[in-house]
Amino acid sequence: MKYLLVLPFALLAYPAAAQSTSPADLLAQYSAEAGAEASAERGQALFMANHTGGKPDTPSCTTCHTTDPKATGQARTGKPVEPLAPSSNPERFTDVKFVEKWFGRNCNSVLGRDCTAAEKADVLAWLDSF
Amino acid sequence: MTDAATSHMPTRRDPVLVWDIWVRLFHWALVVCIATAAVTGFVLGAPWITLHIASGLLAMALVAARIVWGFLGPTHARFRDFLRPPAEILSHLTGGDAGRHLGHNPAGGLMMLGLMAVVELLGIAGLTGLGGVLRTGPLLSLPYGIGEAGLELHEILAILLIVMILAHVAAAIFESRRSRENLVRSMVTGTKERRPGDHPGRNVVSRPRIALTVIALLAGLTVQVWQRDTGVPDGAPVAVLDEVFAEECTACHVAYHPSLLSGSEWQVIMANLDDHFVEDARLDDETNARITEWLVAHDASSAQTRPAHVFANARKDPTGRITETRAWDDLHENVAEETFLRAPIYSKLNCLACHADAETGWFSPFLIEIPKETSK
Repeated sequence: MKYLLVLPFALLAYPAAAQSTSPADLLAQYSAEAGAEASAERGQALFMANHTGGKPDTPSCTTCHTTDPKATGQARTGKPVEPLAPSSNPERFTDVKFVEKWFGRNCNSVLGRDCTAAEKADVLAWLDSF
Repeated sequence: MTDAATSHMPTRRDPVLVWDIWVRLFHWALVVCIATAAVTGFVLGAPWITLHIASGLLAMALVAARIVWGFLGPTHARFRDFLRPPAEILSHLTGGDAGRHLGHNPAGGLMMLGLMAVVELLGIAGLTGLGGVLRTGPLLSLPYGIGEAGLELHEILAILLIVMILAHVAAAIFESRRSRENLVRSMVTGTKERRPGDHPGRNVVSRPRIALTVIALLAGLTVQVWQRDTGVPDGAPVAVLDEVFAEECTACHVAYHPSLLSGSEWQVIMANLDDHFVEDARLDDETNARITEWLVAHDASSAQTRPAHVFANARKDPTGRITETRAWDDLHENVAEETFLRAPIYSKLNCLACHADAETGWFSPFLIEIPKETSK
């Protein structure tokens, strides 16, 4: 019964959550911004590689996210990091603000710069392929 | 000694009851309590604080009961039997006191008074620290500084008590050899051998019913006093975490309570989120301002807790970690380095793994539980 009571509010709230998106919409958005087709292979290579431009403690995405996007990773504080693959974690890539905050922080930590729209599209294409 | 000699002097070897059952029970129960308090306090540390306090309180109660018995017990239990004027103590120590004392000799009697006084003072100092620093127990309204002084006095008195106990044991061994009797066994059986020339002592009758009544009244009074001052003390750290703070900061780490650092330290940390303990943890300006304002409003100066007093302004520079301060090391000296790295703890930064109340800012020693190792 509780769910039925909450439902109208959830429906009312929906248009207000302007940030909400889906992996597919976000992929389309990043690809359009990049002006190129996304490549899951390039995304995988970027995700798995060791980089030198960022902070020495975090040379790769895999430092915290592990090499398996379906697995739970671990931040260096001991906190678990939920899986990145939308198939394992449906909450991933549904909130633009959240996604942008973490791409902003983590690209800087690993690469020492912001990621391009093309790079974000590639990584997202790979993560969404699981 | 032949059979004939023994039969000529039948009363000489008669055992005489010196230590009544209550004195003996008191003695050995106190030994157990003090040993437990010493091991938990000196060796095992914070996770054992409950047992430490329980054994300390029981020691205080035992000594209080023994003091009552010192006025109402049988001959050798009474203070009158063993508390002698200084001249007599001096005369005993310099060999001017020839006769054997069935109860405590004058020097031993002084030691008994000293041991009882130190146990009670030790307990009071401990309760002062418990109240002022850990803000619990009957003295939780005491100012933090008084509590800190209480803890220091508690440590000094604990070492003094250990030294006095060693002296007491050494004296018992020395006196056993000197008078050719086993004084330790006497404290178990209660009897000693009667010998000619013993100081007789002034025989008195014990008053167990009156003693029991007085002890019961004291116990009742203690419970009343104990329950007088309970509940949440003044200067409790803010209990409700700001929702934006909780959401943003706990994305990566436990919610380090605002009362752990000073407002100026929080401002530096929040102004440098792009290099936040070697991570990029940038927030948008609006979110950052809201969290900063909340942290500063509930910083260490707003809380009367031990972590607020020992961690705020303890780091040499704003990029330093609380876990690298001297205070943090001292508080965790009993935890092996590898314990922090194993699952499910993983890191010194993961306070919540062992401190169930870490996110309240209290870090009560009563709530520490180091988890068993799990598979990763």
